Amino acid sequence: MKKHLSTIILSILLLIASLSSLFLGVLEMNVSGLLSGNLEQIETLLISRLPRLLAILCTGIGLSVAGLIMQQLCMNKFVSPSTGATISSAQLGILVALLFMPNSTLWSRAFFAFIAAILGTWLFVWFIQKITFKEAVMVPLVGIMFGNVIGGITSFLSYKYEMTQALSTWLVGSFSTILRGQYELVYLTVPLVIIAFIFANHFNIVGMGKDFSQNLGVSYNTVLFMGLTIAAVLTASVVVVVGAISYIGLIVPNLIAMFKGDKIQGTLIDTALFGALFVLVCDMIGRTVIAPYELPIELIVGILGSILFIGLLFYRLKNGRKSIRLGNASNNTSCCNCTPKLEEN
Amino acid sequence: MMKINNLIKKYGEKTVVNDVSFEIPKGKVISMIGPNGAGKSTVMGMISRLIEPDTGHVEFHGEKLHHWKSKELSKKLAILTQSNNIQMKLTVRELVTFGRFPYCGGRTTKEDEQIIDKAISYMELDEFQDRFIDELSGGQRQRAYIAMVIAQDTEYVLLDEPTNNLDIYHATNLMKTVRKLCDELGKTVILVLHEINYAAFYSDYICAFVNGQIAKFGTVEEIMTKETLSDIYKVDFEIMNIHGKPLSIYY
Amino acid sequence: MNKAIYLNRKKLLGLFILVLIASALYMLVEVNFANEKLFNYAMKIRTPKLIVMLISAFAIGGASIVFQSIINNTIVTPCLLGMNSLYSLIHTAVVFFVGSGSVLAVNANLSFVVDLLLMGVIATLIYSYLFKKTNHNVLYVLLIGTVLTSFFTSIQTTLTRVMDPNEYDTLLTSLVASFNNINSEIIVFSLVLLAALIFWLRKDLALLDVITLGKHQAINLGVDYDRCIRRLLLGVTLCIAIATAMVGPISFLGLIIANLSRQLLKTYRHSQLILGSTFFGMIVLVGGQMIVEHVFTYSVPISVFITVSGGLYFLYLLLKSRRA
Repeated sequence: MKKHLSTIILSILLLIASLSSLFLGVLEMNVSGLLSGNLEQIETLLISRLPRLLAILCTGIGLSVAGLIMQQLCMNKFVSPSTGATISSAQLGILVALLFMPNSTLWSRAFFAFIAAILGTWLFVWFIQKITFKEAVMVPLVGIMFGNVIGGITSFLSYKYEMTQALSTWLVGSFSTILRGQYELVYLTVPLVIIAFIFANHFNIVGMGKDFSQNLGVSYNTVLFMGLTIAAVLTASVVVVVGAISYIGLIVPNLIAMFKGDKIQGTLIDTALFGALFVLVCDMIGRTVIAPYELPIELIVGILGSILFIGLLFYRLKNGRKSIRLGNASNNTSCCNCTPKLEEN
Repeated sequence: MMKINNLIKKYGEKTVVNDVSFEIPKGKVISMIGPNGAGKSTVMGMISRLIEPDTGHVEFHGEKLHHWKSKELSKKLAILTQSNNIQMKLTVRELVTFGRFPYCGGRTTKEDEQIIDKAISYMELDEFQDRFIDELSGGQRQRAYIAMVIAQDTEYVLLDEPTNNLDIYHATNLMKTVRKLCDELGKTVILVLHEINYAAFYSDYICAFVNGQIAKFGTVEEIMTKETLSDIYKVDFEIMNIHGKPLSIYY
Repeated sequence: MNKAIYLNRKKLLGLFILVLIASALYMLVEVNFANEKLFNYAMKIRTPKLIVMLISAFAIGGASIVFQSIINNTIVTPCLLGMNSLYSLIHTAVVFFVGSGSVLAVNANLSFVVDLLLMGVIATLIYSYLFKKTNHNVLYVLLIGTVLTSFFTSIQTTLTRVMDPNEYDTLLTSLVASFNNINSEIIVFSLVLLAALIFWLRKDLALLDVITLGKHQAINLGVDYDRCIRRLLLGVTLCIAIATAMVGPISFLGLIIANLSRQLLKTYRHSQLILGSTFFGMIVLVGGQMIVEHVFTYSVPISVFITVSGGLYFLYLLLKSRRA
């Protein structure tokens, strides 16, 4: 029972937040109205509020699980869709789709985004595995720069072909355009997360290293590439529908791991729940600050996420890999040797 | 004249140096030895003003060290620390020239150039003087830094583990140079050393530290006894006499 | 030794000639000499732009070299740590709190002074804290700096959106300068300020050569280290503020030009390094802007090229420095 305490608490919080999110908005909507069969209110619920809520939940779950998978596979706590070139590659893919097929549908754009995100992520992971950095923080630094360069190419193309306006939707993540019929792609996260859950132990083993997994009869390369592909498709499907949202894949798994350790199967559900809760809360903040207007979710996440990330870095600098342990979560698959080396001057 | 009075230094809860007092004899070579974490390097840092003591003070020529103007002090006292990694492109001669900085700022006079030439020859660096520091071997680099300290022309020379990362040949030559600095140029040299036998063979006095305190301070003969060394390092020692100097064997 | 200085002087002279050529080309390419009115018009447009680019090249080039020497690492520059985004944020925040109609926001020079004061205080606080807290661990400083960049930018965009949810794009362009939208009202003031800064810091700048040797060596040689670093850091933040106020944030320029200068001159002499990096900056900006204006007919801003090449260059430097 104690083992599942955090899961239960997170579920309850998420439920409360979801319900209150449904009743937050410009158009009037309340319980009595819905129960009395007020058609207008029911319509608001079905066309706008419910799709938005579902999109938010899928986004939070998708991005944080993608981050968790990437961190496990790369043996590095700082890899994530935004620090691993996945998001920027997906954006480049969308731009290419817009350039070559101006009349493309959501699904064909998504196809391009998937391919680009998968290739970008593979390339990045291949790169960091080939170099093998001594310091763990090198990896996100290289990843962010990698993303910068890809982003630069994207903006070069979009300036050159005057697509900046068209592309801006996918550069800054926002839920304001979510309506029924335009977001269903994001449901793809559900089967993918289920697959991830089934293969969680495999990811865990692969994260322990090539020799370790071969010893246990797990095909290292197959699982690695499958895992990265799942993470990339999860990310890309969010980017296509909502746009880029940074930090979630980075922050959420780290916060959960600080409390629950690194065994992926034990943390996957909590990570997914907390990710959804985090995005939901950020979205509610974005909708209330300048109501009746709303701020794009990316801005709120950008502010909160960077503060949390910097806090995380300072914590790690001070305490090394030591995590906050509640209860006796034991299995610490210490995946990287990252006690920060203090260089003198 | 250097007197060390009741130095205490804490890092957080940990007391690294606990009430250390002693007097540095002038014109001699003094080695500080002791196990890891005994506080030798911290004491060295406080003697050289790189580290500020929590309480206590160092008296230098009758004046408290922190009352000295940094610039004036740099003409009397030179320190060479362990970590010297420069990322800049700097030739040996340019590095040695920096030793004259306290005297002339950026612009060297003829006299300065002569002193620099002398320092370079003294450390047998003539053929390397236009090479970049980062292209040299560890031993050559260490010699270049010593040459800079020589060019700084101070009464007191402080060296923090100068033999670190040097092979036996270069380390031994370095210790010989230290002896020469004292005997020929009349400098007072204070060293932090790990290698006990270097301390025994090349210095006049030894100051042994344990747990942030002075375990014993005295002449080489006084310190280099079986009992004292076993006490300090917690391993067994034998003392042998070679060339009239006590050398230790530990196992 | 004197040969090296002499050789470097020659190299610097070569760079200077390139700067002159680039400037002349920038002013005269595709200008209509026949029609006096059109000629005068082109000059009127191009002159302030050229001056602004030259000044920012100096501010960014100088600040980057000084900053690198202060923290003894050549892959870190102030702009990579988000100093320019911080300036944009401060400027936006001031307009946000005093209102876009007030004197503080309308008078370019007055608002510049207020921004500079705030920038000097806030940047010094934030970055000294950052270095202290990370114990000068360069990788952490860089990573946190990159995060700070996105942090400042997010807040700035949020403020702009809150100010005007409908027209925030227009508002953003008016708040943040760019190469197609330079801020030329503050040219005179910036020049005076830069001159004053150099005068104020002349002694500290002369100490830079020694500071390169590292903290312990610098103290050993009689430098009042902490005070000197504090003053230089303040100078760096002000230089970045000046450049950002005039041409907007360009993150990788400092990295590129400072390292090019170090590679070309291979010296520790900061007077030469700063000059070299300034000249490189002028060539990159003026030459680049000329290409942007005439080859790409303004469609792609120069900052895009600098971001892509700078990012690749940064990766190269990072990997090279960590290979060992």
